Amino acid sequence: MSDEDEIRCVSCGITITGPAFTSFPCPECGEVTIARCKNCRKQSNHYKCSECGFIGP
Amino acid sequence: MVEEDTLIPVEDYLKAGVHIGTQHKTNDMEDFIYKVRDDGLYIFDIGKTDQRIRTAARFLSRFDPSKILAVSAREYGKRPAELFAKIVGGKSSVGRMIPGMLTNPNLDHYIEPEIVVATDPIGDQQALKEANTSGIPVIALCDTNNMISNVDLVIPANNKGRKALSMVYWLLSRETVKEQERLADDEKFKYEVEDFEAEI
Repeated sequence: MSDEDEIRCVSCGITITGPAFTSFPCPECGEVTIARCKNCRKQSNHYKCSECGFIGP
Repeated sequence: MVEEDTLIPVEDYLKAGVHIGTQHKTNDMEDFIYKVRDDGLYIFDIGKTDQRIRTAARFLSRFDPSKILAVSAREYGKRPAELFAKIVGGKSSVGRMIPGMLTNPNLDHYIEPEIVVATDPIGDQQALKEANTSGIPVIALCDTNNMISNVDLVIPANNKGRKALSMVYWLLSRETVKEQERLADDEKFKYEVEDFEAEI
């Protein structure tokens, strides 16, 4: 897998493998795809959109 | 409190009790809390609630309407969730959620939604757990006492009151339909808040 194909968690930066992660368009702008790893979802770590600056969850 | 134009007058939010929290608060929900009342109840910042409803509607409009799932184990949330799903063109699961609904393809009632709208992260923990396993994003109405584990977008609101739930779901339905371009800005929404209210 090349670096471009790698999916990284927007909160912790870890390379995500396996099925237990989620990715969705930014709720505010929809321009950027936000990927969250299982741990960051579980620990409710914040994520930030690189395009519009929206902070979730 | 954020001063800006809200979807409905602030008085209507207050009348429905959308801003009323509980006597408990979690660190997760601290950002959405405006103040604590003398009687110990935490109060939400209505501006943030209003903004999150808009954001959630915009977010929902980016998905195929038939792939939206609204869940509510809470009694007062059943009617609002069902009607919301009907209006936006999605599916609903009210009452006890049968385990495996989102994870076990061998079951008859297995469905594959692309997004889940939960009424209460505590009552709907089965849905949140299965959405987490399947990698489905979750929008949840969260009260001051809720943890937001496995939630991807929080709508801070009173998720226990009959009127509060109907108001939030009514607004969410109206704004989602607008974002889906099925309702013009100046057009009147054909449902009233009362239609969303559960019977006592």
